[in-house]
Amino acid sequence: MSKTDMKGTTVKGRAELALNDDFLRKAVKFTTERLRDGKRKASDDLGNWEEWRERGRQIRLHTIAHLDYYLNQFANQARLNGVHVHFADTAEDAVKITLAIAERKQALSVVKSKSMVTEELHLNQALESIGVDVVESDLGEYIIQLAGETPSHIIIPAIHKNRYQIADLLSKEAGETLPPDTAILAGFVRKKLREKFLEADIGMTGCNFAIAETGSMVLFENEGNARMVSTVPSTQITLMGMERIIPSWSDLEVMATLLPRSATGQKLTVYMSGITGPRRQEDGDGPDEMHIIILDNGRSLQLGDPEFQELLNCIRCGACLNACPVYRHIGGHAYGGTYSGPIGAVLTPALNKNIDQWDDIASASTLCGACYEACPVKIPLHDMLIYLRRRKVERGLGDKMESIGMRGFAAIMSNSKRYENALKVGKLAQRLVVKDGEITSKLGPLKGWNNYRVAPSLAKQSFRDQWGTMEEEIRHGLQEIDPLVSNRMEEIVRNREAGGKGHD
Amino acid sequence: MTETHQAWLAQMESESRAKQEQFMNGIAGRLGHPRLTTAPPHPFRGAPDFWQTFGWSSDERVQQFTDNFEAAGGHVHRLSDMQEVQSFICSKAIELSARYMIHQNEIELNHLQLKEKLEDVVVSQWNSESDEDWIARAAEADIGIVMADYAVSHTGSIVVVSSKDKGRSVSLLPTALIAIIPLERLKTRLGEVLIDFDEAGREQLPAGIHFISGPSRSADIENDLTIGVHGPGVVFVLIVG
Repeated sequence: MSKTDMKGTTVKGRAELALNDDFLRKAVKFTTERLRDGKRKASDDLGNWEEWRERGRQIRLHTIAHLDYYLNQFANQARLNGVHVHFADTAEDAVKITLAIAERKQALSVVKSKSMVTEELHLNQALESIGVDVVESDLGEYIIQLAGETPSHIIIPAIHKNRYQIADLLSKEAGETLPPDTAILAGFVRKKLREKFLEADIGMTGCNFAIAETGSMVLFENEGNARMVSTVPSTQITLMGMERIIPSWSDLEVMATLLPRSATGQKLTVYMSGITGPRRQEDGDGPDEMHIIILDNGRSLQLGDPEFQELLNCIRCGACLNACPVYRHIGGHAYGGTYSGPIGAVLTPALNKNIDQWDDIASASTLCGACYEACPVKIPLHDMLIYLRRRKVERGLGDKMESIGMRGFAAIMSNSKRYENALKVGKLAQRLVVKDGEITSKLGPLKGWNNYRVAPSLAKQSFRDQWGTMEEEIRHGLQEIDPLVSNRMEEIVRNREAGGKGHD
Repeated sequence: MTETHQAWLAQMESESRAKQEQFMNGIAGRLGHPRLTTAPPHPFRGAPDFWQTFGWSSDERVQQFTDNFEAAGGHVHRLSDMQEVQSFICSKAIELSARYMIHQNEIELNHLQLKEKLEDVVVSQWNSESDEDWIARAAEADIGIVMADYAVSHTGSIVVVSSKDKGRSVSLLPTALIAIIPLERLKTRLGEVLIDFDEAGREQLPAGIHFISGPSRSADIENDLTIGVHGPGVVFVLIVG
């Protein structure tokens, strides 16, 4: 394994790679700040944001708490609409079902609209392995597919690419040199993908919400590619997480009010489509055959867990990413999973139930709570990050040096004599590394700290050293109060006793 | 092939039904309650109470719709009757040098007699003949014309629903879209439209319900807004009445 690969295996390693990529850092910062400001303006313009947020939380909590009823209702209603409903416990099951459908339909090509669930499944590779041509049709997803990469932001997947890199990628596809002009590049993609839509055998979508009472599925998008994928090809396959349910169309009003405002600051995305079954017999378009694959893949593990059940309330808006100071610096790829940012930091280990492999992801947060403030359904992500860290420690997967350090800290701090001696040792030892009152060494115990900051040297005269004198001053100083101040205070007291107002 | 495919689908369905029971029992088990077989009371249905009674006057609805739709990059015109709609469409077709046009097979649109008025334009009516590739007709069209079934001023959205005579492709595949909103179909809130779908119930719902709030757009390249990525890049809304 090369050194770069080694570096890429931890959040810290991946973050270092991201932090060294100047463009990525600037692009992520620019985009996330823009999205965050857009959200702030949109929520201010709407008014009563907290009431909407609370209602969003209530609807999601209610649905998840009764998920067996609503999911069952959805599946039954969707079947009555003529949809073929499938259930998949794991990513492998979902892939198996998808491939079986593709083989049955003798599909040569699949066009996809954006779906985080299919990213979870690594479905593209699986389809390609049986000789099916897979095309991502969301502009950003198409770009990163050409680059052979994964999305770095839930809403803007190609956030890390600049227009020159994109022009290079698309020029290769076009067989001619395209200028780095957004309108020309987008125009090329429109033409290229139009052909793909019209010739594809299968259209594949994700699902933003599924309406239990009528068995309908709802898609939010701006480009129109999700509409293409669900209108033109003769077979539609929709992959949805089992928690995407809401009870009714009326509840959709709340989600439609929260999701676009939180994601991009829009009042509504350009397209919001509610699809209820395949084409009716007499219809002139729409798929003849429609499949919905309902995926668990670790989601049900959160049910009944008081600390993590609310994770299932997530509506995938990305607002927590834009609010997170850590995400804004390191970008999405540093998180190493399908979902990035604060939600990814909790969701990835939760879905994978292999906390040890994702051990450092929960540490990629400052626990500042900005993610909770941003969340339109009020998921307490910052609390969950702490629960994750605690669980990691309980499983004995904590940082060995950290626990030894903590034990040592406890031993020293609980005994004043030991603490005094430790300070003396420190003062002597630091002489080796102190320069101008600062310690900049990146060796030894201060390595992690000093990578990005400078530690101050231990004070020549510590607080502890000064305590005796200070205590003396405090106790006796009061007797030496300035006579003027003393007179004023007495004046006030006299005044108050006389019934006057002490101060107003 | 068809028979074996049907047999395969039936096989998949029986597997899926068995799996469904297991899935739901698993969920109920984890939630720590017996399987719920009746609808739980849902005290938080729909928008917050203060919002349910909110409404704008007709003039405000037109103004708000116009502001929102134009902010999203669309064009809005207020016309007094279908006669004016006809002249608008004809002059727009000439201005944009349209060669192909497609409209929904609806009585109001058929009455515009665009075929007769625009001799140089190939005008087709969605799904008016059975052996035609209607998706291809919509894909080649320079302009698609639809009646909005509803519109929402608070979000600046038109709503179109599918049927035999109303293709989903007509509002999606052409380069430009013209949508006509009869004034009485313009509501204030999303909820005023959505409640109709709840009340209609599953069996009455069309396959496609589409809220459209401007021209197709993307900011995926360096956050630089581009219009008309996959759907229509130019959208005219004509509010009539």
